[in-house]
Amino acid sequence: MFSKVLIANRGEIACRITGTLHEMGIRAVAVCSEADAQALHVRVADEAHVLGPAEPRASYLNIDAILSAARASGAAAIHPGYGFLAENAEFSAAVEAAGLVFLGPTAEQIRAMGDKRAARAIARRVGVPVVPGAEGGDVGALVGAAKAIGYPLLLKAALGGGGKGMRVVTDEAELREAFDSTRRVALSGFGDASVYVEKRLERARHVEVQVAGDGRGGVAHLFERECSLQRRHQKVLEESPSPSLGESLRRRMWKAAMDVAREVRYRGVGTVEFLVAGDEFWFLEMNTRLQVEHPVTELVTGLDLVRLQLEIAAGQALREGEPERRGHAIEARVYAEDAAAGFLPQAGIATRVRWPRGPFVRVDAGIESGDAIPVHYDPILAKVIAFAPERDRALARLAGALDEALVHGVVTNLPFLRALVRAPEVERASADTEWIERDFMTGFSAMAAAPAPELALVAAALAERNGSAHHAVAGDGEPPREAAFRAVGPWRLPGLA
Amino acid sequence: MKSAWVDGGRVRSVELVPLGSGRYRATVDQSTFEVAAEVLDDGRLRLTNDQGVCTVEVTPVDRRRFVRVGRADFVLERADVARASRPRASEDRLESPMPGVVTKVLVTEGEDVKRGQALLAVEAMKMEHLIRAPRDGRVAQVRARAGEMVSGGVALVELQALEG
Repeated sequence: MFSKVLIANRGEIACRITGTLHEMGIRAVAVCSEADAQALHVRVADEAHVLGPAEPRASYLNIDAILSAARASGAAAIHPGYGFLAENAEFSAAVEAAGLVFLGPTAEQIRAMGDKRAARAIARRVGVPVVPGAEGGDVGALVGAAKAIGYPLLLKAALGGGGKGMRVVTDEAELREAFDSTRRVALSGFGDASVYVEKRLERARHVEVQVAGDGRGGVAHLFERECSLQRRHQKVLEESPSPSLGESLRRRMWKAAMDVAREVRYRGVGTVEFLVAGDEFWFLEMNTRLQVEHPVTELVTGLDLVRLQLEIAAGQALREGEPERRGHAIEARVYAEDAAAGFLPQAGIATRVRWPRGPFVRVDAGIESGDAIPVHYDPILAKVIAFAPERDRALARLAGALDEALVHGVVTNLPFLRALVRAPEVERASADTEWIERDFMTGFSAMAAAPAPELALVAAALAERNGSAHHAVAGDGEPPREAAFRAVGPWRLPGLA
Repeated sequence: MKSAWVDGGRVRSVELVPLGSGRYRATVDQSTFEVAAEVLDDGRLRLTNDQGVCTVEVTPVDRRRFVRVGRADFVLERADVARASRPRASEDRLESPMPGVVTKVLVTEGEDVKRGQALLAVEAMKMEHLIRAPRDGRVAQVRARAGEMVSGGVALVELQALEG
């Protein structure tokens, strides 16, 4: 096994990977942008290297700087996390060309699955149904194909994924208007302006299957996750098992996912995403990385997926036979965003942060009290995951945990999540991927627009009066760290005077 | 002691009259009630009124106050300061909805625009937001250049009414 691993990421996922590395006796090397020099993922690591200025291109997407940091630290392997370079084939190739181990699939596999058009071809080859769609380099060709498929359509970045760079278009005029901006977002977000259209299936659900492959043709599935609760095509609540699948459909989807993974002799952990409607399912895409929502799979299988990634990379064989699954796990993503204002991303200082505790509640967090939330990155702050023997108890436990969570200083989606987990449609598991925007938001917006209770105003006025607002920071949560202590820390940051 | 707070779209007033030993007569907007306040060891406040008891926690961040009441959170803003320091977005003053990068400026000063027309685009966290004209008008001022980083709530475009 490796003695030192570099994590080419930030935030909650970098902290979570560090946890497993430490548990396995492996030293964790953090990298960071100048804006993140004091971030939690840097503080929990054994050493840290500054990559460059805040903009992702200069830091977390800067392959040369990351490889220099790996050389300087003596790390033997690089974990890409999710986002940033996790699905960048050049990065995987460059890491291996530098004589290091990439904790993920080969460059060829990333390329095959990362190009959504090529991925659809692979699925078709192994007999897995795909959503009707078409590609086109110019708007004219797409408009022609779109006519044949029929509106509404989704316009997507060919190298996109995770719902980023995706637009719903309901007619030709909208397709023409969205074409340029989607290409621009695709180019800035994924380094390639190619786009394609896909039929938008109405009232479909999003179910995905976690897979693992040893790179030699051995593949296994780690069951499915239901991720239908989304806003702006971004997941907010995920769970395993899926409460919406019948047993035979579930098994057919496990098999389809394994067939796709086997076809590319997949190496590492990955996720095959499907849309489901009625008793039918369609291949959507394969994500060749650790998924944001991987903790729900970990809780129901008892497997640590980061450890599994390290074991696969170290050449260990996958365990034979189907793994066991027990209980139910549900995750809620805590974002710095104002749900009542169109989910606008927020930035600032999270002055006071308190995460829930208690049995069967897991929190993967990237911030503590006093931490900055820069504008440059994805606004995810943490994931709160609850486990219980039954779904209804897991949901109730999650609701309690979200009530307990506190983030003051930046607006977060916590009020939205608290309302969401109590919605009858969520309790009944009857929601499709567009339900939040179609139905839920009306009620939520009305709730959010309601006047604050009188006691909230009394509290604000009282805090002003006796100044307790200022010493109140001591709370249950950790007080903000002294700047001087944070600048020095237990070790020195290379690159900082 | 009187204070005024922006709560969503409305301005609300609070008056506290000390009655001694931690008791106050509070008037919030038009409703008046008595409340007892006790500062707990951890800095939180315990408030008691005829409805019951609850624990509240206030975190000040510039003009904003993050307030937890029981298990719910609210964000209030000091109204007096807020009003003086920055004009609110209006039909004539179009603001950046979030911190981000201006990717496109689609209009020039002096240009007439129609309601719903895209004026400029701001991108943040891989999402592009088009800022559209809320009504017909003339572009009085464009305050951003393509490629410029802007924070949330800054004026990007000012419109004026069309003559006649």
